[in-house]
Amino acid sequence: VDNPTDRRVLVLLDDLSLKSSHSIFFNTLKSRGFDLDFKLAEDSKLALQRYGQYLYDGLIIFAPSTERFGGSLDSKSIADFVDSGRDLILSADTAASDLIRGIATECGVDFDEDSSAMVIDHTSFSVSDVDGDHTLIAADDLVKSDVILGKTKIEAPVLFRGVAHSLNPTNNLVLKVLSASPSAYSANPSSKLSSPPQLTGSSISLVSVMQARNNARVVISGSVQLFSDRLIRSGVQKAGSPNQYEKSGNEQFVTELSKWVFHERGHLKAGNLVHHRVGETDEPAIYRIKDDLEFSVEIYEWSGKSWEPYVANDVQVQFYMMSPYVLKTLSTDKKGLFHTSFKVPDVYGVFQFKVEYEKLGYTTLSLSKQIPVRPYRHNEYERFIPTAYPYYGACFTTMAGFFVFSFVYLYHK
Amino acid sequence: ASVFQPISDSHRSAALDVFVPVDGSYKSLEEAYEALKTLEILGIDKKSDLSSKTCENVVKVLQSSSSTLKDAFYALNVNGILKCKIGEAGPKDIVSQLQAGVKDAKLLLDFYYSVRGLVLAKEQFPGTHISLGDAEAIFRSIKSLSQSDGRWRYSSNNPESSTFAAGLAYETLAGVISLAPSEFDPSLIQSVKTGILKLSDSIQKYDDGTFYFDEKSVDASQGPISTTASVIRGLTSFAASESTGLNLPGDKIVGLAKFFLGVGIPGDAKDFFNQIDALACLEDNKFSVPLILSLPSTVISLTKKEPLKVKVSTVLGSKAPALSVKLTQALSSKSVDSSVINNQELKFDADSATYFLDSFPKNFDIGKYTFVFKIVLDESAHEKVYITEAQTKVPIAATGAISIENAEIAVLDSDIGSVESQKKLDLTKDGAVSLSANHLQKLRLSFQLTTPLGNAFKPHQAFFKLKHESQVEHIFLVKTSGKKSELVLDFLGLVEKLYYLSGKYEIQLTIGDASMENSLLSNIGHIELDLPERPEKATRPPLQSTEPYSRYGPKAEISHIFRIPEKLPAKQLSLVFLGVIVLPFIGFLIGLTRLGVNIKSFPSSTGSAISALLFHCGIGAVLLLYVLFWLKLDLFTTLKALSLLGVFLLFVGHRTLSQLASASNKLKSA
Repeated sequence: VDNPTDRRVLVLLDDLSLKSSHSIFFNTLKSRGFDLDFKLAEDSKLALQRYGQYLYDGLIIFAPSTERFGGSLDSKSIADFVDSGRDLILSADTAASDLIRGIATECGVDFDEDSSAMVIDHTSFSVSDVDGDHTLIAADDLVKSDVILGKTKIEAPVLFRGVAHSLNPTNNLVLKVLSASPSAYSANPSSKLSSPPQLTGSSISLVSVMQARNNARVVISGSVQLFSDRLIRSGVQKAGSPNQYEKSGNEQFVTELSKWVFHERGHLKAGNLVHHRVGETDEPAIYRIKDDLEFSVEIYEWSGKSWEPYVANDVQVQFYMMSPYVLKTLSTDKKGLFHTSFKVPDVYGVFQFKVEYEKLGYTTLSLSKQIPVRPYRHNEYERFIPTAYPYYGACFTTMAGFFVFSFVYLYHK
Repeated sequence: ASVFQPISDSHRSAALDVFVPVDGSYKSLEEAYEALKTLEILGIDKKSDLSSKTCENVVKVLQSSSSTLKDAFYALNVNGILKCKIGEAGPKDIVSQLQAGVKDAKLLLDFYYSVRGLVLAKEQFPGTHISLGDAEAIFRSIKSLSQSDGRWRYSSNNPESSTFAAGLAYETLAGVISLAPSEFDPSLIQSVKTGILKLSDSIQKYDDGTFYFDEKSVDASQGPISTTASVIRGLTSFAASESTGLNLPGDKIVGLAKFFLGVGIPGDAKDFFNQIDALACLEDNKFSVPLILSLPSTVISLTKKEPLKVKVSTVLGSKAPALSVKLTQALSSKSVDSSVINNQELKFDADSATYFLDSFPKNFDIGKYTFVFKIVLDESAHEKVYITEAQTKVPIAATGAISIENAEIAVLDSDIGSVESQKKLDLTKDGAVSLSANHLQKLRLSFQLTTPLGNAFKPHQAFFKLKHESQVEHIFLVKTSGKKSELVLDFLGLVEKLYYLSGKYEIQLTIGDASMENSLLSNIGHIELDLPERPEKATRPPLQSTEPYSRYGPKAEISHIFRIPEKLPAKQLSLVFLGVIVLPFIGFLIGLTRLGVNIKSFPSSTGSAISALLFHCGIGAVLLLYVLFWLKLDLFTTLKALSLLGVFLLFVGHRTLSQLASASNKLKSA
């Protein structure tokens, strides 16, 4: 793939004023080259496909209260969109509709079933002169991944006001990016609690991401306000902390996250898988057991503009037949070439070189190449066996004795 | 109810972000006008930065005879702000163009640009005499596009009516009135007023008392902000141009003001301009000027003993006239019927232009309140007519530090209720309590919470959490009755809920509330639970998520273990045995020597001797062939050679043996 970054993005809104109130986020996308197509979520002309061709590379849904999309859009067509390898930003909020919840559930995320509940935190809230109900969360528990959130550390807390969700523990593709603090809980701030909340503490996820097995990426947020100009411009001071920030971490957070979800970062490609015997340059059609071989593969990382050599020390290759016989970590020359050498196992059969690379935030790599391994041919074993010297001696002395005996027997008188 | 704030410095700093010129100028004169107008209203002086390039465009448009009406309109608007230097000939040409435009106009937008352009030209070029000779006919032409509901159509061919267009139309009609050489027929004016009243009947309302205008059609290109701003511009222009009074109800004016203040800070440049321009129209209009009551902070801390502060200002933040502010009621969310504060007049601080209440009654406790304010304007005559809300309801949160006392945790025997072990707790810091219990015992946690006034306090969050070493968590609500909070866990009834998981549980207590300034999360310690074995059919604990950091990462390397070569004896041992094998051959040779072996029977005749030698050489050749076969020959080569040698041996062997047999027979005969 020449350029893995998405370009055409459909933005579904339940209110066109979000275009203005969330303009900073949308402008950062536009300034990075995205074509944003804004539509109302109930527009009767909505379509993701036409004549089997997808019209968009990415989808942003900021329509938390929409009960039904217009046109041919529904939960299934959005699932198909992601299954085709395209990317999605989905934001719920208080009063999220069943439609939005259903899409989130498809991605391994379960929002709080109580539609009046929102995240409350009486210790990690943002100090404010206006909001007194501690629902404006100052969250600083971010995933530790340079790929997902960028190399620059997000210093200021991220402001969040919205609903809580939890991750399906059986789904290992989904990941918390912004977590609530241990004292957070999900409830209706206006009513007394009669039973413990379903979601409390650090198990609450505020923003989650999923990368599907086909490397499609999804961001799921419990707050549309997270992306709003108001929270981006707002100063933040976490309760109990002396640190005061003139600007929240929201802009950096949503910008870096959008770089990840739209494949401006964290996208790998691998190619040029080469193997040959030590001392040779040609790739053989077959290996013999105990051959020494050299293996190399090239891996590049998309920087948002070009392919750059990928530098890592944890890429591995497997020499695999039913199970790995050899599993070796590759060395890198820091120019994109990963290489290693090993001896072919003394087991013959049809093997595969397998490079299966999974790293947090990066697209997965999965390459394989099939190669047979043969045993020694009959003329490749050692020719003269020292242990057999007595037997050699026995044969040859018998032959010599016979020769001498023939003279004695015939001509003795 | 929500709190509205007047325009402030946050708008000013945002304006500099939203209206960013590209290379020192804007893409169009319309954008330039919107940016300059907004910055001017907000009091930000950016003219010198922008004037050179923008004035070039203005002069170019105003001196060109082929400019469109729209370009001329916006050029004049920009010129009104920047006051560019225009040559002597320019104004006359542009005025005649605009007058021709009015004459030829058929579309509402053409009327709008040309008439408003002439109004601007009249203001900017005093020496030029500008008037509309046929003003009344133009008035009727514009009026013919109106609809009975007060809305307007853009053209006579377009059946769709628009609220946004109505705003443009009223602004245009105001221009026609101001440019007319003589008074208009009062019935014409009255018919427009009737339309205005009908239009104002179509105003939309939010629950919080804000008003706005919107388009009837869902496919409209204009949103509520631009539509409402257009109507306000039109109505205020019309009211300013017309001598007799046109009145809108005061609550609608305040509601419209609150709509624009409630928008926040728009990110879209056009929305930003519409917001600020509409508020500027409301700031100075002939109906009545709205006054906004705002509170810098709606959170009152009883700990810090800060005064309650109230500001009253116009929508753009200008000072209000002399007035007094009364706090008529303070309604608690707990007891809605009784008011804690009644008819308290706030004091005024002239330095900060703030009204404040610096002392609260003794029964003012923490919690949520609704404060009801009333603004009373002084009876002196003002230049302007001011309007305020009858009363302003503001949600107030009073916070304070909660006392936490008598905190203790105990393990009880369930049958006789005796205390087995009891610990005092200091919930302000993590504890190191170590308890143990079995399924026949109970765990009791208790504490007391009181407000700063000594009243009972029920927190919104009072969670007791048990976390098993396998990360399975259980949360219990601590019930509060009166001042005492207590939780009793009877483990006999909880074994199934705890999934029969014995082992170590971490104990955590969270107490929090929006009114509580010292909300806490306390790790109390741990308890060792000894529960029965899990029955076969009991529910299993839920799955726990795996840690993502440990899920990824390289796997352990695998090296193939090659088969160990077979154990062979040492090479020296093989050589020894090679020597041993050779010994019998040597013995054989020595034995022959001792026996006195001779070859006297070897044939003596030449022919026989040659035949005998050939025979033995043949035998030697066959043996040599065997050695070569062992060294390198393959089977087929060997067999070919062997067949030839075989035939040869057959002949020479037969001859040699025949001769030996003959010689032997001769000896027997002799």
